[in-house]
Amino acid sequence: MLRASAAIERAGFPTVSIVSTGFLKQAEVVARGLGIDDLKIAHYPGTPMVDSSEELRRKVAGDLAPQIIEALTSARASERKQAAAREPAPREIVFRGTLEEVNDHFYDAMWTDGLPVFPPTLAQVERFLRFTERAPDEVIGVCPPDNREATVWNIAVTGVMAGCRPDYMPLLIAVVDAVTDPEFRIQDAGSTPGWEPLITVSGPIAAQLDFNSGASVMRIGRRANSTVGRFLRLILRNMAGFRFAPGAGDKGSIAQNFFVALAENEEACREVGWLPYSADRGFQPGENIVTVQSVVSVSPPIYTGSDDPLEHARVLAEVVGQSCGYWSPVAMTYSKNNPLIVLGPSIAKVFAGHGWSKAGIRQYLYDNLWIAADDAERYAYYIGLTGFRLRDHVAKGLLPPEYCASDDPKRRVRMLLNPESIGIVIAGDAGRNQSKCYCSNHTQGPPVSRKVTLPRDWDGLLARR
Amino acid sequence: MSEQQPVYPVVWPLGKSHWDKRDLNPGLGDLNGKTIAEVWDRVFRGEEIFPAIRAALKKKYPQVRFVEYDTFGDPQGINQKQVLADLPTLLRKHNVDAVISGVGA
Repeated sequence: MLRASAAIERAGFPTVSIVSTGFLKQAEVVARGLGIDDLKIAHYPGTPMVDSSEELRRKVAGDLAPQIIEALTSARASERKQAAAREPAPREIVFRGTLEEVNDHFYDAMWTDGLPVFPPTLAQVERFLRFTERAPDEVIGVCPPDNREATVWNIAVTGVMAGCRPDYMPLLIAVVDAVTDPEFRIQDAGSTPGWEPLITVSGPIAAQLDFNSGASVMRIGRRANSTVGRFLRLILRNMAGFRFAPGAGDKGSIAQNFFVALAENEEACREVGWLPYSADRGFQPGENIVTVQSVVSVSPPIYTGSDDPLEHARVLAEVVGQSCGYWSPVAMTYSKNNPLIVLGPSIAKVFAGHGWSKAGIRQYLYDNLWIAADDAERYAYYIGLTGFRLRDHVAKGLLPPEYCASDDPKRRVRMLLNPESIGIVIAGDAGRNQSKCYCSNHTQGPPVSRKVTLPRDWDGLLARR
Repeated sequence: MSEQQPVYPVVWPLGKSHWDKRDLNPGLGDLNGKTIAEVWDRVFRGEEIFPAIRAALKKKYPQVRFVEYDTFGDPQGINQKQVLADLPTLLRKHNVDAVISGVGA
């Protein structure tokens, strides 16, 4: 919300922004990142979503309105809260200590995730830089809300800290390039649902860097999957400013842990005759691609058993519907939804063996996932989307007319906005019959893909690593 | 004899700040005769909060005018980029003097 206020201030209009108690600390980070750290705030005390209407009106009249009047009538302009402190240069040594002292220093400065980090020495950072031809000072992207530049240098520093190997560097750059695309909306990665980005790795680089795509995929334990996932969490913390108390910026109410990176089993794709996920994302099969998307919740393990693909599809639809149904009104509100299905290789084999394509699975899910209209509006309201009405969204063209086909509050409306937005990746234990669904968080973190650019002497560098 | 541990000289892990500093615009002094716009992100009961604000401000400043939130779209919604881009023009078109935005952070 403060982004709108800042844009309005820049256009020359005075503003005051209504912020409830729980968001005050986050507002500080956002306002600083927007370059207006003294944005005028009117504080709504408490949590508006649990106040009675009477209590709400009392707070507006007694607390909020006087602050708004003061803010809008005061002749004062800026009151800079503090002068910006000098920031160290990239190669400047900011601390010297033992492994334990470095970790304590970084933890106290809120630069770590609470786990031990590799000390980012100049020598270690230089090892990472050998795996890219890009200049260390090249800005790959800017990370709001704290609005810090993610340069090739910073990416290497963060990779060292996360425990990555130097040869992950081209992939790390691609990940940062993806999440700093404005479409990804990295600035919303600290929103209250507590969503977490998930990185999917496609192409031969997954095997070259020893990613796990088989049994126990998505569990911490394989260095590439684990540290690349952790790397992105550190980027969110140190470049975008998503820290929680005693820091600020991260408002995940009951948030998720970071995800280890997901690698697709492209061999399984070839076996069943399907193109890999990267091709679904618009790239050539065999290209090295990373795709990053938000995940707000994970389904239970979806065990399906039969040699009939329709039975697999039925159970998939049931469990995906149960898992993502409650969150589907958020997708309707923002007209965007990108669930990701991780399909076990044996399940893919049954589907493909009976002539089903990934498009067929997507269409089946689209056709068979429904929610009652009044449940959709009720859930949306409780989530805080109190302005959401299906009828209004249809009138504005944000949802198709079928969402208001009648006035029956119990009419069924589709959970999914279109079949094409469902991602399908083959991974997991080939010896079992399990799949899982990862629900996305609408416009916050839609899938964004980037090609991994390798240095010219990639094979030589790998041979010498 | 205690073991000598290696000492690590380490670099700063943060990126350079990219803050484009801007000063606030001064307030209006008196709200009578002024036009206040409401910009709402469709969350946290703004549909109740904004009408209550209107009532409270009108009690003290009977001549204050409001341009209600429906005029400006959802600055956090699917069309965020366009809504934010259109805001300055719309605010000028409606002769707005100041803006109340909400609700959240």
